[in-house]
Amino acid sequence: MMFVRYAGYRLLTMLLTLAVVSVLIFIIINLPPGDYLSNQIAELRATGQAEGVAKAEFLRKEYALDRPLWQQYLIWVGAFPGPQGFSGLLQGDFGWSFEFDAPVAEIVGDALWLTVLVNLAAVLFVYLVALPLGVLAAARSSTWVDYTTAFVGYLGLATPNFLLALMLFYYGHKYLGLPIGGLMAPEFEGEPMSFEKVRSILVHLIVPTFVIGTSGAAGMMQRLRANMLDELSKPYVETGIAKGLAPTRLLTKYPLRMAFNPFVADIGNLLPAMVSGSVLVSVVLGLQTIGPALLTALKSQDQFLAAFVLMFVALLTLIGTMISDLLLVLLDPRIRYGAREG
Amino acid sequence: MFNRLIAIITAAVMALPAFAQPVVLESTYWEAQVANGEMDRAALRIPGTPLIVDLEAKGRMFGTQGGTLRTMVTRSKDVRQMVVYGYARLVGYDHNYALQPDILRDYEVEDQRKFTLHLRPGHRWSDGAPFTSADFEYWWKHVAQNEELSPNGPPEVMRSGGEIATVTFPDAYTVVIEFSLPNPVFLQSLAGASPPFIYRPAHYLKQFHVDFNTADAMAQMIRSKRVRGWAPLHNKLDNMYKFDNHQLPTLQPWMPVNAGGSSRQLFVRNPYFHRVDARGVQLPYIDVVELGIVGSGLVAAKSNAGESDLQARGLDFRDVSILKKGETDGAAYKTLLWANGAASQIAIYPNLNFADPIWRDVIRNPRFRRALSMGIDRRMINRALYFGLGTEGGMTALAQSPFFDASNLSKWAVYDPSTANAMLDEMGLNKRDKAGYRLLSDGRPMEFVIETAGERQEVENALAIITDTWRDIGIKLIMRPLDRDILRNRVFSGVTMASVWFGWDNGIPQAYTPPGYLAPTDQVFFAWPKWGQHHQTRGAAGEPVDMEPAQRLMDLNAAWAITDDEETRGKIWREMLGIHANQQYGIGILSEAPQPVVVSDRLRNVPELGKWAWDPGAHFGIHRVDEFYFADDPHAEVSQ
Repeated sequence: MMFVRYAGYRLLTMLLTLAVVSVLIFIIINLPPGDYLSNQIAELRATGQAEGVAKAEFLRKEYALDRPLWQQYLIWVGAFPGPQGFSGLLQGDFGWSFEFDAPVAEIVGDALWLTVLVNLAAVLFVYLVALPLGVLAAARSSTWVDYTTAFVGYLGLATPNFLLALMLFYYGHKYLGLPIGGLMAPEFEGEPMSFEKVRSILVHLIVPTFVIGTSGAAGMMQRLRANMLDELSKPYVETGIAKGLAPTRLLTKYPLRMAFNPFVADIGNLLPAMVSGSVLVSVVLGLQTIGPALLTALKSQDQFLAAFVLMFVALLTLIGTMISDLLLVLLDPRIRYGAREG
Repeated sequence: MFNRLIAIITAAVMALPAFAQPVVLESTYWEAQVANGEMDRAALRIPGTPLIVDLEAKGRMFGTQGGTLRTMVTRSKDVRQMVVYGYARLVGYDHNYALQPDILRDYEVEDQRKFTLHLRPGHRWSDGAPFTSADFEYWWKHVAQNEELSPNGPPEVMRSGGEIATVTFPDAYTVVIEFSLPNPVFLQSLAGASPPFIYRPAHYLKQFHVDFNTADAMAQMIRSKRVRGWAPLHNKLDNMYKFDNHQLPTLQPWMPVNAGGSSRQLFVRNPYFHRVDARGVQLPYIDVVELGIVGSGLVAAKSNAGESDLQARGLDFRDVSILKKGETDGAAYKTLLWANGAASQIAIYPNLNFADPIWRDVIRNPRFRRALSMGIDRRMINRALYFGLGTEGGMTALAQSPFFDASNLSKWAVYDPSTANAMLDEMGLNKRDKAGYRLLSDGRPMEFVIETAGERQEVENALAIITDTWRDIGIKLIMRPLDRDILRNRVFSGVTMASVWFGWDNGIPQAYTPPGYLAPTDQVFFAWPKWGQHHQTRGAAGEPVDMEPAQRLMDLNAAWAITDDEETRGKIWREMLGIHANQQYGIGILSEAPQPVVVSDRLRNVPELGKWAWDPGAHFGIHRVDEFYFADDPHAEVSQ
């Protein structure tokens, strides 16, 4: 019961944070002078194309870009009547993309789910790699196992993602026959889910997961190793050894549990880092996530599209933090729900 | 066995006396549709007088129908490249850049004023509806002159000297377009890479047009399609160039089908296409074109893996090494090097309308621009970036143009730092700071800021080399990479000191090519954005031309338009090119840089040495992709 209350409280703070984030996003997007339409109008004027100007002026009115900023914000959110009445994020109207000349919802559509999928796969990869390797590196510290994992880890940290991606694509295709770019074979796009389609997606996920996940895995591994080393030198470990506990059981039952907290808390850091990192990686790898859309939108000041994508990324981040907070509470009895009360 | 069969059939066909029109063979792709009566036989699908392409005259081979051509673009809106590659136009350029009727059976021109277009009787849209003068009439009366669809009236191509043409439709296969003043650019614009479509499939579009529907039906349509009015809907659905409406009938060799995906688009053969080869095989040879939409960084890697059958878009010269590596690793393609058709691969445009008055005076001095040009070591750039395969020299007509003049190419364009230094000293820019850079009259060091679109690595590499050689003439080059749109807007507003772009798109002008792009008529020539605006807006924005040689270019451009004498026009062209070479308005660095073209080993009829040019050229368009075909075994070609 307490847990549910705590979860509800966290959800509430999350929504509040999201509201604040939405204000920030809107302000930042509107910081550069002009907007997509006024830029277009300026260029059309300079070339004397009156017909285009009329259309752009019409769109400016239609999307309330001629109003003061605070009104624009409220209309965008859906808390203020715009030219079409209340129609904003709250009502499920994500706005219009001027660059693509289509509703935002239509453009991001599938990309949202693929973004979630790619990042989930990467998070999973990070944990599956970092956990065993981190523990192993700590247990066998200062041996070749430790040095090798550290070396590979630092390589992963130091290699720029796009370079890693191109190398993996080249060699992956040459020796393993892996596909280059994309998230599924083109013929499956828009098809209903089928076994073949899932297989195609999985094969296409290999390289992106690796590219997005490597640096995160390397960092996480090193942190786990350091935490473990702290614990391993403590007296209770020696006691355990003296009592004749099997090494694996000893490791997993005591020091690992102690070292686990930062590992879980990291989800909150990991998710935003990866989501924002994967924007550029997606552009390089040609993934159909929201990354490429965000980049074009920002470059051309396509504000509704950019704002929506940024909101979505913020939402993912907040969900990540929330998951890590809830997990911590479940895992570690030392953390209490309402520390303030006690 | 099969080969022998083909040989026998071929022999039989060849044994027949040469008919004016070959017997048209059925295509296997539409066999099922013909068999169950959904579609006419091929012989009935093509126009009564089809365009019979003369493959032999071009040294090409007869092909067979079939196969899927895979190629890639980098943005979803590049689906329109298929209109460019398909290159079915009312009139089109042939491989010698001469205008020939294409969709039209024939045309007549009187005094450059009256154009009579003859359609091919029996020609049909890709959905089987007849293509007649009614489609021109629909466009002219209900689209071009409809105030809601075209608030500004008919497009520029239908005007001459500001006056709108008179268009008449004497019969179903004749359209007469008459201008009150000569319109010498009319046919050339119809043959462009992105042409004005002066016809529309009336039978399809009428259902969306207010003139042909009751108010009730229109209101219902607007509601069900969730649009703001009928005009936006019509405008969205009738774009013949964007190729984004797969229901819109087309005349191109391939028509889009809805593949329901964002990472590829399929195009299948147009069953009613109007070209056939001399053996009665309807073009295009290739059945299906699969246009993949991939990240721009992946085009080279995917080509290397053999995932494209024909690729040039998205490939740069620096990708040649990875492409060649793929070839030696056994991928089934070869990399051809075509020459770029732009007048210059990299050109620097000092802005004559720059906002800073002191700098502007310096930039407007021709000696300054000449000195800059002579301070560039073109040989070194060519060798460092293009393995010496480019043509070094200033911006002028390429060797294939009748107006090519080697002296224009080398004028003020030979590396000579000591002469350049002397010229700058003569200008009074002889004071230098401690680092050896010259000082402006107000004491500022000469920091010459060149802005780029930040898209092409080769530009940045070339500028890095120029930075070194300009240091020797006392000019500090500062490179500033921007975004394409930001660069354009900065140049147009006059705050850019100098910028880099390609040279003129059309590097091979002919006498009939309008020389407007050599004169200050358009802001996109980055040396005179303000003068261009002034002309484009008829004086509403920008500044009037206030330099003698530029005014001369303007006058010559006007003189070209009022004559149709080939010799006079040639003279005008030569004088204009001469002014440009002498004035160095755009400082060209090199031209004809190699454009890598990846061609599958199975793909035939692709020219070994082609031109990669936008207009005229339409990239692959002028090389007629519909005549390319697949052959599995190089020895199994259908014998002549």
